Amino acid sequence: MKAEAPTLRMPGARAWRTGLLYLGLFAAFLWAVFPFYWMVVTSLRPESELFARPPSLLPREITFEHYVGLLVGAGFWRNALNSLFLTVVVTGFSILVSLTAGYALARYRFRGSTVLPALMLYGQMFPAVLLLIPFFLQFRAFGWMDSLWALALVYLSYMLPLCVWLMRGFFAQVPFALEDAARMDGCTRWQAFWLVIVPMARPGIIAVATWSMIHAWNEFLFAATLISSAEKRTLPLGLSGLIGQHTTDWGMLMAGGVLTALPIVAVFFALQRHLVSGLGAGGVKG
Amino acid sequence: MFKATRRLLSAAACALGLWSAAAQADTITFWVNAPMAPNPAAPIYEEIRAFEARTGHKVNLQPIPFQELEQRLFVALGGGAGPDVMAIDTAWMAAFADAGVLADLSERTRPVAAQYQPGPLASGRYKGRQYGLPWYTNNVALFVNNDMLKAAGYSAPPKNWAEFRAVAKAMRALGPDKYGLTMGSGRFGVFQLYSFIWQNGGELIEESGRVRVGEPAVAEAFALFSDMYRIDKSIPDTVLTAQSWDEVFAPFIQGRAGMVISGDWTIGSIRRGAPNLNYTIAPLPVGVRPATVIGGFNITVNAKSKSPAAAAELALFLTGPRSVEAMRKADRLSAQASATTPEALAALPANQRPFMAQAAFGRPRPNVPIWAEVHSSILAPAWDASLRGLMTPQAAVQKAAAEINAQMK
Amino acid sequence: MSRTGDGQGGGGAPPTRRRAPLSSVFETGRGARIYPYLLVLPAFVIVLGVVLYPVVAGIVASFQDLTLRTLSRGTVSFVGLRNFERMWADPVFWTALRNTGLWVGANVVAQMVLGLALALLLNQRVRGLGFFRAGILLPWVVPSVVAVLTWRWMYDPSVGIVNEMLVRTGLLQEYFPILGDVRTALWAVTVESIWKGTPFVMLLLLAALQMIPRSVTEAAQMDGARGWRMLVFIVLPQIRLAFAIAMILTLILTVNNFNAIWLMTAGGPLNSSEILFTLAYRYGFERMNLGLASAVATVLFVFLVVVTTVYLYLIRLRDEG
Repeated sequence: MKAEAPTLRMPGARAWRTGLLYLGLFAAFLWAVFPFYWMVVTSLRPESELFARPPSLLPREITFEHYVGLLVGAGFWRNALNSLFLTVVVTGFSILVSLTAGYALARYRFRGSTVLPALMLYGQMFPAVLLLIPFFLQFRAFGWMDSLWALALVYLSYMLPLCVWLMRGFFAQVPFALEDAARMDGCTRWQAFWLVIVPMARPGIIAVATWSMIHAWNEFLFAATLISSAEKRTLPLGLSGLIGQHTTDWGMLMAGGVLTALPIVAVFFALQRHLVSGLGAGGVKG
Repeated sequence: MFKATRRLLSAAACALGLWSAAAQADTITFWVNAPMAPNPAAPIYEEIRAFEARTGHKVNLQPIPFQELEQRLFVALGGGAGPDVMAIDTAWMAAFADAGVLADLSERTRPVAAQYQPGPLASGRYKGRQYGLPWYTNNVALFVNNDMLKAAGYSAPPKNWAEFRAVAKAMRALGPDKYGLTMGSGRFGVFQLYSFIWQNGGELIEESGRVRVGEPAVAEAFALFSDMYRIDKSIPDTVLTAQSWDEVFAPFIQGRAGMVISGDWTIGSIRRGAPNLNYTIAPLPVGVRPATVIGGFNITVNAKSKSPAAAAELALFLTGPRSVEAMRKADRLSAQASATTPEALAALPANQRPFMAQAAFGRPRPNVPIWAEVHSSILAPAWDASLRGLMTPQAAVQKAAAEINAQMK
Repeated sequence: MSRTGDGQGGGGAPPTRRRAPLSSVFETGRGARIYPYLLVLPAFVIVLGVVLYPVVAGIVASFQDLTLRTLSRGTVSFVGLRNFERMWADPVFWTALRNTGLWVGANVVAQMVLGLALALLLNQRVRGLGFFRAGILLPWVVPSVVAVLTWRWMYDPSVGIVNEMLVRTGLLQEYFPILGDVRTALWAVTVESIWKGTPFVMLLLLAALQMIPRSVTEAAQMDGARGWRMLVFIVLPQIRLAFAIAMILTLILTVNNFNAIWLMTAGGPLNSSEILFTLAYRYGFERMNLGLASAVATVLFVFLVVVTTVYLYLIRLRDEG
């Protein structure tokens, strides 16, 4: 990453710096992870221990009853499948569409290239909760009630402004000299785009993909409004069902939360290394 | 030629016959709160099947989580859609009826009105017309921890306000982490207060629309509890934050608080959280007169339903005499009058009986369209304010009364 | 790709009679001019097509007498500014306004600062980086409803682990009703939303940091820049667009963050944590007055539009200058 320039500092200073670095990372890690740890712990505690005082950091007894209760029946798998379908569709389209749009906006100064993304973004600024009835009416007019495709479309429309903006921002950092060079070598714009530019914007693509995935996987409000039949419910709807009328099954709710978060965590963990790109493999000279 | 005509005529007759038969068999959608249909073995499914067998209509049952029910109904009904039949909380009746989204069932109910308990039936009425039929009902009673009661030196649950406060104080004296009563914050706390307001001879909002929230009787009920918290210190600090029933029960389940004012939904929680807790369910203490607040669910019909006759039939079927047995299986209390006879009471599980025995003193909350707002945004802050000593109970209820009057315009 | 020379498309007749690919239409002339518009079109159409009507309907609603009653009876009427007047006259509106200012200010500042710090931290070559990064991103990945309820559980005045830790470390004498006290409720929720939102800012800034060409940092280092100087004069300007995007997004997300406050305190106690969004929800779904609710929403909308536009304008100025 950074070239090691000769340093006039004492060798101890570097160790001190590294130490501080690890301390900072560790503190941030603990801060970020602790509530999740608490979720997991709560999901493994038996009912009788949930309200015990004082709360213990480690569970005194471990039980998997909440997980079993969730995974066996209760439509959990069906909800997960619906969420998966939704997420794949939304993420796929949002990468594709925002990639091309972001590139165009960054590369070409055409009329409206700065206004357009802002305009799209403005749609996001109206509190969604008050748009429920117009959305409902709009989709009913099209006959798209209780449709996961309709929901995907809504998610896309909310995701795209941000994604396009993000991609534009990332593409603004990409040196287009490379693209011109490729075209000099005989590539068409299309080829130059896919073979040269896109790989360079990988971290941006990962960021957009992650954002889309998470949002599509976790969104609740619109799913609750546009999906009515039990067969099409998504995971967040399933979770909300665990918040009972009079009491909440805390153990199951936390187990549900863990199970809902795990797939995304796993996917992200796998995608992580692509975030680290710098501008390796050849890079730009001068 | 003749044969052809005959064939044509018989075909036409056939078609007509089929058509009218088909017109009689409707498919209706029924939204029910999910706790009533937790799994395919729930009693509601049996009821639906019986209905379908008897009438030939098809019912599409959709369980909706309680959290989502009101909002979904609002959006769907506001958009001119929505189910044909829906189960709604009694507290929402007036708002939906006033909005005109519920069908008027008065004519169909008149012949069978006597079958229902008067209190719950009244909760389905708005401006003299019947918009909903009571499905199941509940009220609140006093849950008492027997061990703590005995340790405090009492042999029986408190019967009146003075005893109530004394028992709480005595329980508090049992230890630094022991309290007499656990209560809710905001709208949960004020819900628990209603019974005591009526017990003290107070009223909230009369049918005529007259607001009586600002009267001394109401202030006294507020004062009873806020004094118990501020002066006697017999209510734990959870009263400042408890915004769900779980959080209200928690001190009781933990054995820290000796009493809680709640309904039959508490039983399941106690069973899960503290199966060995030694407790009894007693009628609420009596003020000037006995009273308890009625809750529960009503079955209503969408005013824009395409099958109003079938929908009304379903409503009557579900809430009719069959409901006594069906609700017993569902761990609920039926709103049928026949459910209060001694035999029916004896058939109830022991821990449901005290609630039913109080049923005669049950009072529904005021049936005004703005009730949700009054409850959550006007009365709840009054409770919060007097609880924290930010206002005296008198000032708090008077302010609430002024606000309600302003909103009623 | 054996083509003759300069990548010009099949405009003239090539001597070898090889068919030019379709995409060559975009290489020159009119094709080249509309090429960028075509690339942007899908995004534009999807977004505006889906969102335009609801947003316009939402804004129009603030000038109408729109309640469940008028909706179902079909008697929705135009009432001009009456909803806004009612809103203005409600003391809770002003409390909510003030709270929204505090809520947004604290969130945006904290998230941007912490997000940048974390991004810089994670941009180093460190052992176990993937592990740290995955952990730090966890708050963002957890569904919002579950995260909020978990924190509420952690703040519980009788079994909350936060209380337990504060007592164990001696910062508190005894358990304190954090969400029940008018002085601490809003800030307690703010802590949760900072926890939840910072990873996203970190992600954006990290990706931007990763894309800084090595040549730039190397050149700067050879000129003797390191440490603070490197950060402020070289790194930050490189990522300024991503920084701006992150700031605006955080602003929007915070203003429109409903779950955190609603599920933890419902705006209480006594409106001490009421923000404009929860107020709008109350007006709409408690009072069933969508017109009034939309008035509040429109105020929020206008505020966000104005702020964003001004900010964008300022950035663009710097870009060109």
